[in-house]
Order: sequence, then C-alpha cells, then structure tokens
Amino acid sequence: MSLQSALQKLASYRKNNTRASQEIFKEGLIVLKSGGVSKLGDEGWAFLEQLTLSAIDIGRLDIADQCLKQLSEKFPGSPRVDVLTGVRMEATESPSTVLSFYDELLRVNPSNAAIWKRRISVLRRVGKIDKAVEELNEYLDTFYTDVEGWLELADIHSSCNQYHSALQALSHALLLTPQNPFTFLQFAETAYTSGDVPLALKMFLVVIDMNESEDEDTIPLGISVRAWWGTKLCSRQLVSSPSTYTSDSNTPVPKNIKLIDELATERVLTAYSGEQGIQARGLVSKWMSAGR
Amino acid sequence: MSNNAVSLYLDPQIRDWVLFPITLVMILVGILRHYVVMLLQTQPKELSRAAVREQRALARSQILRATAGNSPIPRPFYISISQHLSDAFAAGTYLKDGPPKGDNPSPPPNPITDPAAMDGMMSGMKTQMVMMVPQMIIMGWINFFFQGFVLIKLPFPLTLGFKSMLQRGIETPDMDVRWVSSLSWYFLNFFGLNGLYRLILGDDNSADSSRDMTTSPFAGGAAAATNPVQDYNKLFKAEKDNLEFSEGLHNWVGSDVESRVLRKYGKLAPAY
Repeated sequence: MSLQSALQKLASYRKNNTRASQEIFKEGLIVLKSGGVSKLGDEGWAFLEQLTLSAIDIGRLDIADQCLKQLSEKFPGSPRVDVLTGVRMEATESPSTVLSFYDELLRVNPSNAAIWKRRISVLRRVGKIDKAVEELNEYLDTFYTDVEGWLELADIHSSCNQYHSALQALSHALLLTPQNPFTFLQFAETAYTSGDVPLALKMFLVVIDMNESEDEDTIPLGISVRAWWGTKLCSRQLVSSPSTYTSDSNTPVPKNIKLIDELATERVLTAYSGEQGIQARGLVSKWMSAGR
Repeated sequence: MSNNAVSLYLDPQIRDWVLFPITLVMILVGILRHYVVMLLQTQPKELSRAAVREQRALARSQILRATAGNSPIPRPFYISISQHLSDAFAAGTYLKDGPPKGDNPSPPPNPITDPAAMDGMMSGMKTQMVMMVPQMIIMGWINFFFQGFVLIKLPFPLTLGFKSMLQRGIETPDMDVRWVSSLSWYFLNFFGLNGLYRLILGDDNSADSSRDMTTSPFAGGAAAATNPVQDYNKLFKAEKDNLEFSEGLHNWVGSDVESRVLRKYGKLAPAY
C-alpha cells in the first residue's frame, strides 16, 4: 500500500471519528516506518494521537509508547496529551493509580471535560456505579450539551433497571439531537422495557415517521425494521387489552390502534419478503396469528 | 477642464522612490503588526467549573425552549425539565457564587478592581496601541518627506466630489481629480490593503488597521470587560419568564404521529 493512499484513508478516519483500530494501526505503521510524520507538518501530530489510540485499542503498547513519547516531547503539559497518557495508563496500571492521576489533573484544572469523562468511565469500570452516576450528573450539569454523556447516563441507569431515570436522561439527549432517529428508538425501547407501552408505541411511530425514504411500496430496511417490530409488539398488547395498560407518562392509547396493528403486521411481513427473508417469513406469520 | 492631453508629467523617480516605498512600507508594517499582536495575545484564562456552569446554564434553557413548538419529548418530561430549570433559576443554583443572600441585589463588581476584567481590558489596550503607533509614525513620515507630492494618475475619470478624498494635502482648485496626492495614497492603502493581508496572512489576521479606527482603545476594552461582569442573576430571572411562555407552546412531536403514519401508508384518508 502506498504512503499517499494510507494517509488519505487515515485522514478520512480522523474526520469521521471512525474507530477502526485494526486498519488504522496497519496503515499508521506504514506511515510511521517511512517517517511520514515529519512530512505531514501540523497534521502529523493529529495522526500520532490517532495511532496511539488505536495501538492501545489493539494492545500494541510498544507502538503507543513510542508515539506518546514523541507527542509529550512536542507538547509538554498539553491537556490532550494528558488524556492520551491517562488512556495509556488505564491499559496497564491499576485503576486506583489511574484515578489518582486523573484526580491530580482535575485538581490543577477542574474544568477539563475530557479528563473528567475518563475519570467517570474508570469509576464505572471498577464498579463504583453510584460514584460514577454522581460524577456524571455533576459533569452534565456543567457541560449540558454533551450528548455522549447523556447516553452514557441512560445506559448506566438501564443497566441498574432504573428505567425511569434512563428515560429522563434520554429525553435530554433527544432535546440535544432531535434529528437522530436512533436516540428516539432507544427512548422507545427503554419505555417499552419500563412497561410504558403507549409511550413506546408513540416513539416507535415517530422513528417511522422520521424515515422519509420509506413508503408503502418499499421494503423496510435497517432501523425501520426494528421500529416496525417495536410498533407491532406494542400494538399487539394494546389491541388485546387496551384498558389494562396504564402509562406513567399519561400517554393516551391511540384511537385507531386496530389500524396501526394491521399496518404494523403488514409492514413487518413486508420486511421478510426478500430473498433471505422468505424462509423466516413463515415463522413470523405464525407468530403474528398466534398472539391474538 | 482636463481636455488638454497631459497637463502634468510625473518624474518616474517619484514612482520608484515614493509611490512604491509607501505601499511597501505599509504592507510590511501590517505584516509585522500581525505577528506582534500574536505575540502580545495572552492565553484566555481557564474558567472554573462553577463559572462554566453559570455561563452554560442559559444555553440549556434556550435549547429546551427552541424545541418547544415541536418538542421531541412528551409533555410530562418537558414539564419536569422546565420546572427544574426555572426553580433553579429562581433559587440561583447556577450562580457562580451560590444563591444570593438577602433581598438587596449586589452591585455589579467594578471592572477596575476585578483582576479578570482588568486583564481583558489591558490586552485590548495593548493591541490597540500596536495598531495606532505605527500608523501615526507612517503618517508623520509621509507628511514630513512627501508633503504635497502628486504620486499617480488614476486610469479612469472621477467627479469633483472625490477631490477631497484623492488630493488631500494639495490645495489647488482646478487640478484634475484623477491625480492622487501622497497623503491620499496613504489613506487609500490604509483602507484598501485588507484584501491583500487576507491573501498573505489568512482570513483571521490582525494586520488590518482600518477597522480599529471605528473603536477607541477604551471602548474596545470596555466592551470586552462587560462580558464577564454580566449580571447572571438578572438574566436567569428573565429566562424564567421565557421558560413559562414556552411551556404553554409545548407540543409533542408524537401527539398525533399515528395519524400521520397511517396517512402516509394510505390507511387513513388524507387530511386535506
């Protein structure tokens, strides 16, 4: 592989924030060996950061140390290099050592968001969930616009079966990225798990409504299949016993729930109409008719 | 009046020893100033956690309000966030120094005594000085050596209105307006070189001096200083009212989503 194409690929990974560590490492090594860092100029440092992260990711700590040494020589005391050093320490050192390293950095500069986030992730990893949630709440109270943080908080809450809190965290994430259907889908699934079926149904329908490329004649793909399945699950429960489902959020059950159920059945079956789907179709239609 | 072929003949030495040097000196001074300003700029001071929180609290409620008309979250969730924020604003939870004590509002701190604000003011003054001093020197140099020189003839005719702009320093009533005097050439460069600087130094350069003429050094400092002195308590109180307005506007995007989806798939008659 030539140096030029390797560099181009790496730059596009950087731009899109792709975590393709194996590929980055493979191509990064070519660039590193051929001494391309000095030729890259200012971009070379970003490349070194990228290579360090992916090297740690796949466990080639020798390469990571090599890059990290170059970076810390060039930028002593830079917060970005501090973060990298921390990540590198997390790979081998004990969590308590890493935590005290982060504590020290945060004491010097309390508003360093990246270090703060790493610290929270270490706390979660060592099982101090209560401390992690507490810190994460404080972090999000300061840096409200961090969607990643809200999703992480929702994940922690879900893992502790605190679905109501998870929904609240997700609602903040939704406020920040109202254009992202995947956040809506996560909200819907969390609501379904928490037992708030009407709310889940509405949110699944919002996901479907957001997908503008799909209509009657197309086969549902990707996120739509999941959303239609969710819709079907919700509407099946609501059709069979509409009055027994109470909603914590006081979401009303839609009037034409029968129609929605029919539509969902139809759409889910359409999703299984392709070459591969045709074998599973029999199973799906059996499930559809059995539930009533 | 300019019908006679050429009324003046300019010595080519004027071009080589006056016109080009003035232009060159101005360009070089602009580039030099760009680098001096870069040296003078101090790192922005790190904000404490509480200060960041105070600054961003407003953005938080603005995000909430911006989505109110077509909100992605159901009403109970919206109300709980909105209520939480307005309670916090009323109680002053987000203020840097904690909730205010007592009823009397504290006077805004004096920028002269506040070191953080003073820093901002000083850096503004410093850059302003770097802008002003070289311009004054160049103008003095031109006035001293080249006063009353005619440097160049513009290749297009102009109306008499441009006379005061192009022939500053030459008090003749009937010279053609197309002749440009040395002092006017200086001013033309002063206002016109920005495009060239942008080409040489990039978009975000500090070589251009014409835009500093619009602000006095003290006004610049004061404008920078008002920012940290903002009374967040008052802003929060105002934001609280805005939140209440938006609460009334709230409309969940999912409130009639089922009919929209049914219509899209032809299960329900279109609404129109």
